[in-house]
This record gives sequence, structure tokens and C-alpha cells, in this order.
Amino acid sequence: MTPVEKWFKSNGWRPQDFQIDCWEHYNKGENLMLHAPTGTGKTYAIWGGILNEYFELKEIKEGINIIWITPLRALAVEIQKSTQQLSSDLKTGIKVDLRTGDTPQSRRIKQNQNFPFGLITTPESLHVLLSSKKHKDFFKNLRAVVVDEWHELLGTKRGVQTELAISYLRFLIPKLKTIGISATLGNKELAGEILMGLGNNFKTITSKIKKRINVKSIIPKSMERFPWRGHLGTHLIDEVIKIIRKGKTTLIFTNTRSQCEMWYHKIIHSYPELAGVIAMHHGSIDKKIRLWVENGLREKKLKVVVCTSSLDLGVDFSPVETCIQVGSPKGVGRFIQRAGRSGHQPNNPSTIYFLPTHAIELIESVALQEGIKKQMIEDRLPHINSYDVLLQFLTTLAVGGGFFPDQIFPVIKKTFSFHAINSNKWKWILNFLTKGSQSLEYYDEFKKVHISEDGMMTVLDKGVALRHRLSMGTIVSDSVLKIKYQTGKYLGTIEEWFISKLSRGDVFTFAGRNLELLTLNGMEVIVRKSKVKKAKIPAWIGGRFSFSSNLSDLLKNTFHNKKNYSTPEFKALKSIFKQQNRESKIPNSDELLIERFKTREGFHTLFYLFEGYAVNEAISSLLAYRISLLKPITFTISVNDYGFELLSDQEFDRNIFLENNLLTKEYLLDDLSKSVNISEMSRRKFREIAVISGLVFQGYPRRPVKTKHLQSGSQLFYDVFKEHEPENLLYLQAINETFDHGIESPRIQRSFEKIENLKIVWKDCKYPTPFSFPLITDRIRSKLSSESVEDRIRKMYLKLEMSVK
Amino acid sequence: MKEIIIFKNHFYLHKTGAIFWKEKDTLLLADIHLGKVGHFRKSGIPVPRKAQGVFYEKISRLKNSLNFSRVIFLGDLFHSSLNNEWFLFENWVKKSSLKIILIRGNHDIIPKYKFKQIGIESYEDLTIEKFFFTHHPKKINDFFVFSGHIHPGVKLIGKGRQLIKLPCFIYNKNQIILPSFGGFTGMHFPKIKNNDKVFVITKREIIEVKEKLNK
Repeated sequence: MTPVEKWFKSNGWRPQDFQIDCWEHYNKGENLMLHAPTGTGKTYAIWGGILNEYFELKEIKEGINIIWITPLRALAVEIQKSTQQLSSDLKTGIKVDLRTGDTPQSRRIKQNQNFPFGLITTPESLHVLLSSKKHKDFFKNLRAVVVDEWHELLGTKRGVQTELAISYLRFLIPKLKTIGISATLGNKELAGEILMGLGNNFKTITSKIKKRINVKSIIPKSMERFPWRGHLGTHLIDEVIKIIRKGKTTLIFTNTRSQCEMWYHKIIHSYPELAGVIAMHHGSIDKKIRLWVENGLREKKLKVVVCTSSLDLGVDFSPVETCIQVGSPKGVGRFIQRAGRSGHQPNNPSTIYFLPTHAIELIESVALQEGIKKQMIEDRLPHINSYDVLLQFLTTLAVGGGFFPDQIFPVIKKTFSFHAINSNKWKWILNFLTKGSQSLEYYDEFKKVHISEDGMMTVLDKGVALRHRLSMGTIVSDSVLKIKYQTGKYLGTIEEWFISKLSRGDVFTFAGRNLELLTLNGMEVIVRKSKVKKAKIPAWIGGRFSFSSNLSDLLKNTFHNKKNYSTPEFKALKSIFKQQNRESKIPNSDELLIERFKTREGFHTLFYLFEGYAVNEAISSLLAYRISLLKPITFTISVNDYGFELLSDQEFDRNIFLENNLLTKEYLLDDLSKSVNISEMSRRKFREIAVISGLVFQGYPRRPVKTKHLQSGSQLFYDVFKEHEPENLLYLQAINETFDHGIESPRIQRSFEKIENLKIVWKDCKYPTPFSFPLITDRIRSKLSSESVEDRIRKMYLKLEMSVK
Repeated sequence: MKEIIIFKNHFYLHKTGAIFWKEKDTLLLADIHLGKVGHFRKSGIPVPRKAQGVFYEKISRLKNSLNFSRVIFLGDLFHSSLNNEWFLFENWVKKSSLKIILIRGNHDIIPKYKFKQIGIESYEDLTIEKFFFTHHPKKINDFFVFSGHIHPGVKLIGKGRQLIKLPCFIYNKNQIILPSFGGFTGMHFPKIKNNDKVFVITKREIIEVKEKLNK
């Protein structure tokens, strides 16, 4: 029996199968990929193996033996506590320490002189360690690297950052063991391969523990007054309060930060007796307040927390009994993740209530339940060819003592992200770093990475090195302003454009408080508490979540499966379905429903693809474009997760549509790039690329003035590259990211393959149908013009810039 | 080109951001920020070098269509301290046979004598008849003011959430602010006042835009 098993036994516990598997395979020296839900003992499964190994070692060598990477600083703290605890309980004398962005400089210096056995860190902090000239020394006795919550990193540029670091550490220490820990994913196999890098064997271990999840829909008593279109859902507040009163602690998940503010406001307003036991939590609120809320949850001081995805993962809140999801969670994985925040004890089921914000969302609830049953968890799409991250990483190595390109090229090529990089692109990257361009240019003073006589690439300039260290990382935030009281107390951040719409004296809601705007002071918004009841609710431009393709498939099947008609959700929708069938029809699984009706506004043509917002949006522009090729016409387009509407002042004939094969997948990408505003979208993508690759320097902390002559917006870079260097890999990356991650072109292609086989059902209707209602009342954008920029400008007006004076 | 007449003098606003003063055969230009590309590159930020040539291309094309013999730079001709781009400029000055005047801007930290050596006079501001030339926008009674500094631009909105950002001239009865003429310069979006006229520039045209009257 291993020491860890003995320890389990002495505590009266029995290790689970997957834990024993992990210990055994770790002992064999294998790389591991562990898939298990949170709260099932993953940390012991891995750290236990490490400790068993420790007892077998004759001598513990100095320096870092184990690196444990987590996506969240808060999670790092928990891991440090539990691994240190286990190590101390087993009387090992092992030290485990933290190294994250929160670690003070004094502590870092101490660590550098005498590194602990285990170091818990984040991808960013690990890269900062690599930028130290002594990093080879730090890692010389490294035995294993653990990546926790890999599913959260995969699919982001932090994932690419992790891939690069692991590949490099393997190059330094060929015997290094790599261990991944992840929740269940759609593309489980691939997730392991990406983490391990090409050509490395690994053992996959899956925990058999299945968490039971109870899903209950909140069904309104009367459907008559239930809105047909998306709303906040606050009309169901009384039902919510009943649920809150029943349980111990409840989390209310909303999809956006403004929805979060509004729900908090509404609850406090209608049920003032909850003051003191209710709090809110979202990404823009100051870290201190968030930590206070998190502690309040752990210590059972809070009864309700209204939150966003900021509480989706990580920290365990055992007292949470119930979760409420307001509106569509847009994906099965996210719904399970959120449900999993409740009933955290291993054998307890999780309970989540689904609160529909409009009628059709009730169907989604049924679809989600089916998705949980079938475990249809979404894939995470990895980033490939992220040259911005690669440039940053190479500069890190050049700052950290330098690198030889011929040694590093195979290291890069072994990562999944850059497996397709060829020697031409590699040369381009190196030229970009050393010459700032691709050809030999005279009189150029470009200075970044220096090539020494033996071919080593290093950064010599201290300014370049300092600016690089200060801007490492792949998380790029929007331009935000800090909110502070006059006393200097910090409340959180808010987007510049929202504040620019306010004047002095205006009152807005933030972190659940009503605040009066006093003045703008550089990047700070100075406020004071206000007694005014009516306040503006800020909006944050966040990514608009779109249905995952799993959820859209589920939704379509749910519609067509007659079995579902006996569920309480469908029973509640009976009258709406009846009306839909009377005016138009509910499409079968092999049909594509198109509705046409006329109102004062013009001719409405509605398409129900059920493909999710992103795909529907792209297809709507594509169709509008193809129709406009047949005859001159202008469309106003509106989109949601279920379908889209083309509104025009002139009628286009159904035969035009039916005879011209407008839904063909031929010339798909070509037509897409002509119809969707690719250049505007990639311009937005480029901002992140410019910051990560080091083109845009965001300034020294607290010393903004000195760099003024070096500051420039990413937009300007985008324009300059587009005009003078269109072959620039960073510029091309922005366009590729727009296709792959922005409009999800692979998914659009798959959708078209399905659509081609659908039978088109065209219904001419007298009145707007229930299905059409959310679309025709929610106008989002129109586009598509064959006009020149100059002609467009003649029809446009000045956008009024208002500022606080 | 857009013609404006001030104190009986004819000024033509050009789509490049320049102003041609007919009576005096003079070209007015603001905020070129020469040397900015080199300055960035020296600090390890790889701006394409081709962007250095934009100013020279633009002005030589202007020379083909407009008959000017004098150029007044309204400040921020150079972005920062001396670098190799100075030699490009010096070369151009010698070949161009233009009379050149520099109004100094906040970025112009290259000493006056360097300009003097290549035949360029520098001033803090300059008065010619009833016209006042300066870097920072300001109002001066009885004079009409030409300035730059802010790199003015506007956001235009149209149906269906269209949004375009463009550089522009801002013009009222007291002064006109020129857009930046440089190839690697940004834009700022000042508040437009009621009596301001806005002329946006595109690659092809200069167009006056207005506020929407009733919302």
C-alpha cells in the first residue's frame, strides 16, 4: 500500500477507482490526461501520485520539482492550500508555494533564491519565469508539470501559451511528465493531444462518477401575459423569491453584466428585507468586493448572489444548494457547469432552475435536459497559428538569455497550434523580430532582437526588455475607466463609451449601488453615492453568446419529437403552438420554414434555421447579398438564435428565391467575404493581436507620460499593414481568426450541407406569427449596399460626441 | 476641393487634408509627424518602413495639380528627436525648391538651428494680413486662425448601425482646424459645436456632413 493510500485509510476514506488509476500510471512515469467533474477529488488523484513518488526518491533535489498551472488566481490559492495540507499531513516537509500576479515582489525574490518543491502558478506567471535569464537553472530538477482545468484554457490564446511553455520545458527536461486535468469535453481525445504536443504518448483516465443534475423549468402561471420576445425575465421575480426562500444559498446566473445589475436592483427593490444577505458578482467589480462575496458564500453569510459567468468555474462553494439560470445558457456545457456550482458534495445532486425570458425559451429548457441526459458537451475549438502568441513567446526567450532558432524551431513545430508552420513562415517570424521587416533595408534603426555572431537571438536593449516584461500575457481588456469614490475607494471598471454618454450629475447603477457622476479624472470616474431611485444601467460590450451547434441540434430535435409534447413546458406553450400552426406551421425535421407577410414597414421574409446567432447572422447577410445580385434591393436584417428576418421595401418574388438555388454551398466563402463585413470584424480582432504581439505598448504602470511618443492605436497599425504590408502574418491572422472564431466558417459550411437537403416550405401569412414575433420587434441591423463609401457618407450623419465637462 | 472664402481670400480644402491658399500660392499642412515610423522601429516596434514615404508621395502628387511655391507646416512636422528620417526630409527640401515655414508644435523638439541650416524658418505663430497661423486651435478677435494639433476626426452613423470614422476639417467663422496630413498618425474625435462645419476626407473626395436635425 502506498503512503497516500495508507493516509486515506487512516482517515476512513476509500480512494476512488480513477484516483488509484492516476497513482499507478503516474508511478509508471506516464503522461496523464484526467477527465473528471469538479469536486470529485482530482487534486488528490494527481498530488497523491506526486507524493508517492516523493517517498521513493532517495534525495530531493533543490529547485522547482513540480509546476501546477491553473487558469485562475483564486483557484491557485485553493490548490496551494490543499496540496500543502496533504503534504504536511503525510509529514513530508515539502513546501508548496504560489507564484501568480498577486505574489508580491519581495516574496518572488525569496522564491528565486530557494524555490519550493511545488509551485502553483498561471500560464502568464510561468512565462514571466521563462523571461528570467536564470530560468534554466530554476527548472533543472523539474519532474512534472500539471495543467489544471485544461478545458478552460483550451480554446483560448492562454491555451496556446500553455502549449508553448510545455513544449519548451520538455526541450529543457526530456524526461518531464505532463499531466492534464479537465472536465468532460466534446473533443476529449483532441484535448489531450493538444496539451501533450505532437508525438507524445499519454494515458487517458476518466472518472466514472456521474453527477446527477435536476433541471426544473420555471413555468409562468398564465401564458397569456407572458412575453413572446426576449426580456429580462424579471416578471417571474416572485417565483424566484419562492425558490430562494426554500433553499439555503442560491446563485442566480445571468448572461450579461447589465442583466446582473438589473436583477440585483429589482430584487432589492421589491424585497428590501433581503438586504444584507444578497450580493452581486461580475467581472467588472473590484477584486476585493468579489473576494468578499466569494468568502460570504463559503461562510454561509449570503443567501443569494446574482452573478455572471464570473462564478462559472473554479472555487468551490459548498453551501450553494440551488442555481437559477436566467435566459438561455446558449450551450449544454455551460449549463452543466453552472448547475455544478450547486450540491457540491460528491453524492449530492445539483439542482438548477431554468427561467425563460420569453415563451420559445421554454423549448430550450426541454432541449437542455435532453442534452444533459446525452452528455452532449460542446467541443472547444483550439487556436491554431496564433503568430501573435508565438512572437511574444520568442521575445520572452530572447529576453530570458536568448535562443538558437535551429533548436527552437522543432520545439514550436511540436505544438498543436504551430504544427503546420513551415520554414518560410518561421523565417518571416525571425525577420520580423530581428529586422522589423522582410528585406534588408538601409539606414534602418530597427532594434528589438539582436543576432550575435554564433547565431543566438537575444534582446540587448534594456528598454525593449522592460516593455516586454510589462506587457506579457494574452488577456487584452477593453478600454475601461476605473470607478472611485472621492475618498479614493475603488469600486470596479466601466467601459469608456458608456461614461461618455453621461453628464455630470447623472446617476447610474454599479455593483448594486446608485452612483452620481462627479467628474472624470484622466482614466478615473469619480462618483458619490446617490439617493436618486431612478438610475441608468450600464452596458458592457461583451461577446454576444451564440447557441452552440450542439444546442441548436438539440433544439431542432426537441421540436420534432412528439414525445416532448407531454412535458410541462410544451403543455404551457400549447396555445402559442396552436396559433403558429394556424397562421403558418411548425416545421418538420426535414423542412426549412420560410414565412412572408406584409406590414406597414414593408415585406417581411423570415427564415427559421435554428443555427444560433452567429451562424444565422452570417447566413442572413449571405442570402441578402445573393438576392441583391438578382435585383437591386435594400434589406434590413434582424437576427436571433432561432432565425433571421429580411425586411425590404420592395417585394422579392418567392420564385426568385426558389428557382435560383440561393442556398447552395458553392462559392460559399467567396460570397461570405463579400457580404459580411470581414474587414470591420478583423479590424476588431486585430486589436488583441497587436497587444499580444507587442505592437501596441500599453504604458508603464503609473508612468504614462514618458512613453507618449511610442503610443499608437492598433487601428492605425491595421491600416498601415493593410496598405503597405498586406502579406504581414499578423494582419492575415486577424482575417483568419475572423473566419474561424468570428463567423465560425467551418460551422457555416456544415450548416449549409444540412440546409441543402431541407425541403423549403414557403408560407404566405396574413399576420405576424408567434415565431416571427421576437425577430420583427427586435431590429438589430441592416446592411448590404452596393454603394461607394462616398455615397454612403452622403446619407450619414454626425454622431454626436457628448462629454463630461 | 471645397472652396471657402475668408476676408476675400480663396482657400481650397483638399481631400488629402491640405489647404491651398490661392492668393499667396501657399499650401498649408498640419501634423505630419515625420520620423514617427523610425522612432517606433528604433524601440523594437516593427511599423512598415513604407509608411515613411507617404508624406513625400502625397505632396508630390499635390504639386502636379496645384501651383504652390510656399508651404506652411502648422506644427508637429517631426514626431520626436532626430533620427535617420531627417536625411530623407533634408533631401526633399533641397530638391523641392519651395519656401518652407514651420510653425512649431508640441512634438517639434528638434532645435530651430537644424531647420535653419536647411533654409527653414520656424515660428511659434505667424500673422499674415488678417490670418493667424498656429499649432494649437484658438480664437483671436479680428483674425482668422489656421491650426492643427488635434488630428480631428468624426464618427458618422447611418441606418442599420453603420459607423464610419473619418478625418475631417472643422471650420467656423473664427478658425479652421486641419486634419493630420501624415501617413502614420491617428485621429481624435472632438466635440462638434453648433456653428462648426465638418468636411470629411476620403481617398477620393471631400464631403460636408451635418448633424441629423430631428431625431
